[in-house]
Amino acid sequence: MSELLRVSGATLVLFARTLRSIRREGLSFRQTLVQAYALGASSALLVGMGMTFFGVVVTSIAYAQARKYVGNVTILGPAYFELIVREFAPMMTALLAASRSAAATSAELGAMSVNEQIEALELSAADPIAELVAPRLVASVLSMPALSVIGIATASISAALSVTYLFHADGWSFVDPRFIERGDVLCSFVKSVLCGAFIPLIASVRGFAARGGAASVGDAVTLGVVGACMGCLVIDFLVAATFLVIGL
Amino acid sequence: MQLLRLGGAIGLVLARTVLHLPKLDRRELGRSLFLFGYKSMPLAVGTGALIGSTVVLQAGVYANKFGTRQYTGWAAGYALVWEFGPLLLGLMLAARIGARNAAELALLSVNGQIEGLRGISLDPFRILVVPRVLASAISVTALSTVTFLVAIAWEGISAYFTLSLPLRVFFNSFSELLGVGDLAGGILKSLAFGTAIALVSTAVGLRATGGARGVGQAAASAVVMSCGSIFALDFLLTPVLMRVFGT
Repeated sequence: MSELLRVSGATLVLFARTLRSIRREGLSFRQTLVQAYALGASSALLVGMGMTFFGVVVTSIAYAQARKYVGNVTILGPAYFELIVREFAPMMTALLAASRSAAATSAELGAMSVNEQIEALELSAADPIAELVAPRLVASVLSMPALSVIGIATASISAALSVTYLFHADGWSFVDPRFIERGDVLCSFVKSVLCGAFIPLIASVRGFAARGGAASVGDAVTLGVVGACMGCLVIDFLVAATFLVIGL
Repeated sequence: MQLLRLGGAIGLVLARTVLHLPKLDRRELGRSLFLFGYKSMPLAVGTGALIGSTVVLQAGVYANKFGTRQYTGWAAGYALVWEFGPLLLGLMLAARIGARNAAELALLSVNGQIEGLRGISLDPFRILVVPRVLASAISVTALSTVTFLVAIAWEGISAYFTLSLPLRVFFNSFSELLGVGDLAGGILKSLAFGTAIALVSTAVGLRATGGARGVGQAAASAVVMSCGSIFALDFLLTPVLMRVFGT
């Protein structure tokens, strides 16, 4: 419990310090672009592949449910499309991107911290937070919604195709935006922005905390990825509950 | 090319694990079970609670829309046992077990300790690999049942609060419409995911080269590859298991 409080406190403090260092030192456009490639663009393949598989599995669940009770799988199509947009795609995308980018971030920062390169940066009067964390935070916040769009697109297309060709029903009902409202898109967007902000922060907290030898880098990666995945689930739940309460 | 090589490495690890199974080191197995299984309990319970409440939160909207509130228990339980329970638990444990296992093995092989073990005629597969693969498969399977239990309890609770659905109605539709086959499907999926996590992370960890940086990279790529293989396995197994156990 105290561990949980300490980690969430450290994440908040790092967030505040990152914002302050961006205001003070500015943001390196070049570094942000490099990180947007490293954290965002290189996760695109993983997200696309994962969500393609996921779309097929979701339709086989829908098909099994429909066969038992509704009768026709196409009735469930619009509802499942809304669920993909609102819930599945942002959550799964965030989890996949979390495992990839949190692992990369905490491995890199952990290795730097173990080799005392962070102290070296401080000694040469550079702010390690402005140099290392700020570009990652901005890049991840910007790229996560884009990844989420890729996730929604690949999952829906593979759902539509698999319904058409595997279950021989009208697949276009799975891309029928009948139930999609402004609230769904907003909910999806808020989820991916918050997860995008949280993932590099927790990974940096765990990376900076690595001390000792190479073993602690491995520990930092484990803790960073687990924290990022768990945090994304919590954010997902909190945002879903908030949107349900305010009725969007 | 890289993928092919990794596939071959995974196949080799699997084959050697099966071959070395009779010569298993019992004490290492116990240690790995404690590390992988018992120490991941809080994670499994937390994951279960979060999935359970989120699934009901989202399914509840449709339950009201279609006027099928009394089937919420079945719909939410079905989605949980077949898909979200095994998949999310698998992703979480890929991060936890996979990264730790890969980092530990990578550290040993980067420092030449694997060769050291061979040098004093101890078989690294017998002490390091077989117990971990076995422990990971057993742990993920066992933890999946815990996750299902916690998630179903939370589904009932959050259905009571958000849909004001009485607990008895929820669990009636749950127990009437879901059978042992559904549960077996979910648990078998978790078993496959657990085995995949261990095999992938072992193969990645043993191939690590290049000092301290290599250890971090091995841990990171083990997580990514385990996640990828979990999604691929999910895709391959769902139709097969549904045909065998589906109701």
